[in-house]
Amino acid sequence: MTIPLGHYLILAGIIFAIGLAGALTRKNAIIVLIAIELMFNAAILNLIAFWHYKQFAALTGQMFAIFAISIAAAESAIGLALVIAIYRHYKSVDVDDIKSLKG
Amino acid sequence: MNVHDTLFWFFSIAMLLCGVFVIANRNPVASAMALVLMFLFMAGLFVLLEAFFIAAIQVLVYAGAVMVLFLFVIMLLDIKASERRRFAFLGVFGGIVVAGAFVWEMRIILSQPVIPLQSGNTDLSAGLENVVKPLFQHYMLPFEVTALLLLVAMVGVVLLSKKDLK
Amino acid sequence: MTPVPYCSIFTALTPVLILVIGAFVALTLDIVRLRRSTMTVRNRTLGMVSILALLGAAVALTRQFGLPGPVTLLGQTLVVNHLTSLFNLVIVGLTILTIVISMEGDVGRHVGEYYATLLFGSIGMLLLVSTEELITIFVALELTSICLYILTAFHKGALRSQEAAVKYFMFGAISSAFLLFGLSYVYGITGTTNIREIAAQTTSSTLLSVGLLFTVVGFGFKVAVVPFHLWAPDAYEGAPTPVAAFIATGSKVASFFVLVKLLFIGFAGMQGTAFCYKFSSGWTMLLASTGAASMILGNVVAITQRNIKRLLAYSSIAHAGYVFIGFVAATEFGATSVLFYVIVYALTNLGAFGVLAALANRAGGDDMEHFAGMARRAPFLSVLMLIFFLSLAGIPPLGGFFGKFYLFAAAVQSESTKFGLLWLVILGIAMSAVSLYYYLIVLKHFYIIDGKDKSRIQTPVYLNTALAAVAVAVVLLGLFPEQVLALLKGLVAQL
Repeated sequence: MTIPLGHYLILAGIIFAIGLAGALTRKNAIIVLIAIELMFNAAILNLIAFWHYKQFAALTGQMFAIFAISIAAAESAIGLALVIAIYRHYKSVDVDDIKSLKG
Repeated sequence: MNVHDTLFWFFSIAMLLCGVFVIANRNPVASAMALVLMFLFMAGLFVLLEAFFIAAIQVLVYAGAVMVLFLFVIMLLDIKASERRRFAFLGVFGGIVVAGAFVWEMRIILSQPVIPLQSGNTDLSAGLENVVKPLFQHYMLPFEVTALLLLVAMVGVVLLSKKDLK
Repeated sequence: MTPVPYCSIFTALTPVLILVIGAFVALTLDIVRLRRSTMTVRNRTLGMVSILALLGAAVALTRQFGLPGPVTLLGQTLVVNHLTSLFNLVIVGLTILTIVISMEGDVGRHVGEYYATLLFGSIGMLLLVSTEELITIFVALELTSICLYILTAFHKGALRSQEAAVKYFMFGAISSAFLLFGLSYVYGITGTTNIREIAAQTTSSTLLSVGLLFTVVGFGFKVAVVPFHLWAPDAYEGAPTPVAAFIATGSKVASFFVLVKLLFIGFAGMQGTAFCYKFSSGWTMLLASTGAASMILGNVVAITQRNIKRLLAYSSIAHAGYVFIGFVAATEFGATSVLFYVIVYALTNLGAFGVLAALANRAGGDDMEHFAGMARRAPFLSVLMLIFFLSLAGIPPLGGFFGKFYLFAAAVQSESTKFGLLWLVILGIAMSAVSLYYYLIVLKHFYIIDGKDKSRIQTPVYLNTALAAVAVAVVLLGLFPEQVLALLKGLVAQL
């Protein structure tokens, strides 16, 4: 195959950038959580691409990816629970509405 | 162009389109569905990279469990599509800065010497057995800590999303 | 395939195991026996259970000092040496104090879950300190962070608490993604996740610098330095006060310790320079600029704050900036001064939050006005607050002064021919002077301004004793700084 490692890294970089853009600009808290998942996925793609292309002796890359996936899942669960808790108070998931703390 | 290359281009372009759709769409349900597609294409890339176990996990955990969670919460809260937003100057400025940083990073990646693929090391891409073994030996500690983390997450989710009886 | 040394792993992990058992006991005891009891009984009983578990862990940790030499297990994922044992003890001590504060304060209705989550959080911190491997660092850091997100939201009735948790979570999750992305580059370029092997392999690859940059950004969020500080004031203000104390002390001690390991061992070859006459790329330059920005912004914005928890949040941003001066020195003395400062800062801040938690409930809030005339209402705790705030400001006979002094000394010594880091030191000293102003405003409310309410405030004896012990520790660190520094120096040299 002729696809070099750089292609995968750039792809991961673009996905990370898309995720970051979404996390910073979108106001809907659930979309922000989804965007954060995108950022995690970009990092996982990096790990697997490096692991594959550099033929590292150990399976560290895959291990790292497994841990990253499980942690990302746990984190999104916590995030959604917090969104539900906030929704109880505001009847809205808009980040802009959440502003009783100021200073 | 062989099959592998064609698949790479297909998966990556489809994935980027889905990614843009995820964050640009105003309807959260549509966003979540695009995310499922994106996760599936990503799993396809993992297969191309011979990480079959991760590909399976990607489909099971992300496209399966996490997405159901997201969709469930979206439906539960009955979130409507957000209305069109005003032009956010700060957001656009931040976006330009971030985009600039990534263009700079791309230049760095492209300037790296091309890393050749060495001949396939068969025991790396071998079956499930090899992949999970380190979890119980070398990476025992993070594995156990992840168990604690999932427990805490479970306790936390129950606690946070439960309605307190007065 | 080498056999796994289960027995020594078990010995090394005894403190953690005791804490896990303690957390489970707290959870089940609450469900099984205490459902019908009053809040006070539940709070006190479960608090005592947690403290017993922590004391057990502390005993197990002190026994680790008896080990002949450093122990490295499971390919560096578990490292036990005297320095890690010492810092584990510090974290256990901070957790005990947090629990003592919580037993008096209002922690919501889910007491068992509260103490269990607190214990799990401290487990994450312990593991963070005693590992030299990136995957374990990431997992332990996430365990700590998730516990802190949950704890922040523990005032279920209070909107501010939920809101603070959401903000904290959003920033925390983005920072985790940055950290993971950075670590993936570090792994990819060096081919290992072991900090010491990374140091051995460091080649001057630009991609590795990008990885380092992302990693530092990730940690920058966790320790709240400018420009990644936005979550801190809201999280501190909205979280229950004991939790704010835990975020400000325990998690920072652990994060700074990991950062020391990562930068001084893993990226030892990439520090670059941040001298005023010569900037070259590397992590010192990065830390020097963010540290300088934190010192300026933290101290200046703190002046305008009326809420004491918010004020402490901005002051902690400034303190993180001071700590970065020690990093920028990039010498062994620099690392030692960072660790010394982190201990002093954590004790002082925990004490200040403790006094705040003890008084805020009875004073009706945590704005400055609520504390007017407090010296007459609660003379003992006011004296303790005086000690803590003067130490934070860096007044000579107290621990805080020597903490700052060593940081600045390390920076000056690291490049003593042309004093390249003098700009940072001068900025630090100037900003300390600014900080004195807002610390004194708070003390003015305590001691000079008269409040409307003049009734005495009674606080339980155990709380007073615990806070007095912290104050004594702060004073002792100020009276015998040389000895503590020499001890830390010896331990850092072994690293």
